[in-house]
Amino acid sequence: MARFFYVYKKPASKFINSSFDMKSILKYILKNGLRDRLYLGLLITLIVSFSISIFLGSTMLVEQQHSTAAYITGSSRAILAIGMILFVCLSVSRAFENKEVEFILSKSISREQFILGYLAGFFLSAFIIFLPLVITIAIVTKPTLFGLAIWSASLLAELLIVICFALLASMILKNSFSAIMASFAFYIMSRLMGMFVMAIDLPEDFVAAKNHILSASLKILSAVFPRLDLFSQSSWLGYGIKDFESLKIIAIQSLIYIPLMIFMSFHDFKRKQF
Amino acid sequence: MSPRYFFYLYSHKIFFWLFVLTFGCQIFFWKATEKFRADFDIIPPVPNKYAISAMSLGDNEFLFRALSLRLQNSGDIFAGFIALKEYDYSRVYQWLKMLDTLNSESRITPALAAYYYSQTQNRNDSLRVVDYLDEHSSANIDANWWWLFQAIYLAKRAGDFDRALELAKKLAQNNAKDAPLWTKQMPAFISEEMGNGCLAFQVISKLIAESENGERQISADEMNFMRHFISERLRHLKTGKFDPRKCSKKL
Repeated sequence: MARFFYVYKKPASKFINSSFDMKSILKYILKNGLRDRLYLGLLITLIVSFSISIFLGSTMLVEQQHSTAAYITGSSRAILAIGMILFVCLSVSRAFENKEVEFILSKSISREQFILGYLAGFFLSAFIIFLPLVITIAIVTKPTLFGLAIWSASLLAELLIVICFALLASMILKNSFSAIMASFAFYIMSRLMGMFVMAIDLPEDFVAAKNHILSASLKILSAVFPRLDLFSQSSWLGYGIKDFESLKIIAIQSLIYIPLMIFMSFHDFKRKQF
Repeated sequence: MSPRYFFYLYSHKIFFWLFVLTFGCQIFFWKATEKFRADFDIIPPVPNKYAISAMSLGDNEFLFRALSLRLQNSGDIFAGFIALKEYDYSRVYQWLKMLDTLNSESRITPALAAYYYSQTQNRNDSLRVVDYLDEHSSANIDANWWWLFQAIYLAKRAGDFDRALELAKKLAQNNAKDAPLWTKQMPAFISEEMGNGCLAFQVISKLIAESENGERQISADEMNFMRHFISERLRHLKTGKFDPRKCSKKL
């Protein structure tokens, strides 16, 4: 009977403990953002970018509002992605250096829950900056509501992919500089996928393909990297959505790539010895 | 004396003279390159489609707006302005066409062509702008009737009335709901200016007939304008002893 209660109670107590620990990790990451001046830094950068965008947009001969919207969305997307890459890579490498990872893992928390807790924390940190950004864009540029909703959802998915990759790179590489460079390379390559796909003209004959090493390597790259070039298009705010096929691709790409990154992180972290 | 000892004794003098030598080299280099100025193109060549795709990082709209700003401000550099007659209009044309591939719906590109680049002093350059506006508008005349009208105006200003008439006939084919009636009358205006009273008479007669048959709804404002136009033209035709009977035979 005692054995039954032990077996019966164990998962429940584990769940309570683990949920408590995940919550602690989440709070810890959010406070990390505050300590690293992430929110303040990104907010100030976004304000500067908004000001420059409004100024440049107002100098246009016609369609000032459309231009302002395009400048704001393009620049704020880049600022958010760069900011989150820096934050994730620096936080994780610092956690490894300060033995915070060992400390957290010494509690009753699984390695999967550790990764998920960190991811949730980083994602929430991004969301804290993202929410006022979207509200300000809605007020300043007066876009179509549907376009803004889709753009926002797409940008969130893009940020989640970037955060997942930055976390994975930090886990694998440990060194913060290498992780940051790898994450930047990943983001730029993924954004260049449209150009790569356009440049691919791989011959069907494999013998002939050997003479097209560039095309072959581009094709391999395009198979591994996500199609971030389709995500968060500035035109959606001004002209609405016209190509629903690309929305389908974005949704499926996110559903595949985010778990892929998470499972890779699980696999890598499981093999780590402390 | 070993070289090591020599270096130990005289290293401060060696480095001093090396400093003097490199400083002298810098002064000679400055003198040789004092007049050198970086090559500056008012309008640089248009990047190819791969470069465009790479620059956009997937966001064509952002790149379109950034390059539109670049084209709008080209020539305004180093706190100076360059006359439009100095611009290479073949490149301006290529830039406008390239911007159309990024966003064909925007009004920025045709507005830059019609309101800014049309102000050139060279007739041939004006006609290049007309070519662009014609090509831009022909893709969708109903949406771009205003730019086709601008092309007509520019062709007329450049003295190419045949081209203006050709464009006016194209403009008259529009079925846009927001297009005023004068877009249909444009061939008449141009023909009138070319001295072809017969064509002007034909266009006006057709419009009146359409109005009387109920094929075309004409608002009060447009009707007033029509009345004014018809009375003015009739007066002009009367003074010129214009005979419509001869005209119908010709047409």
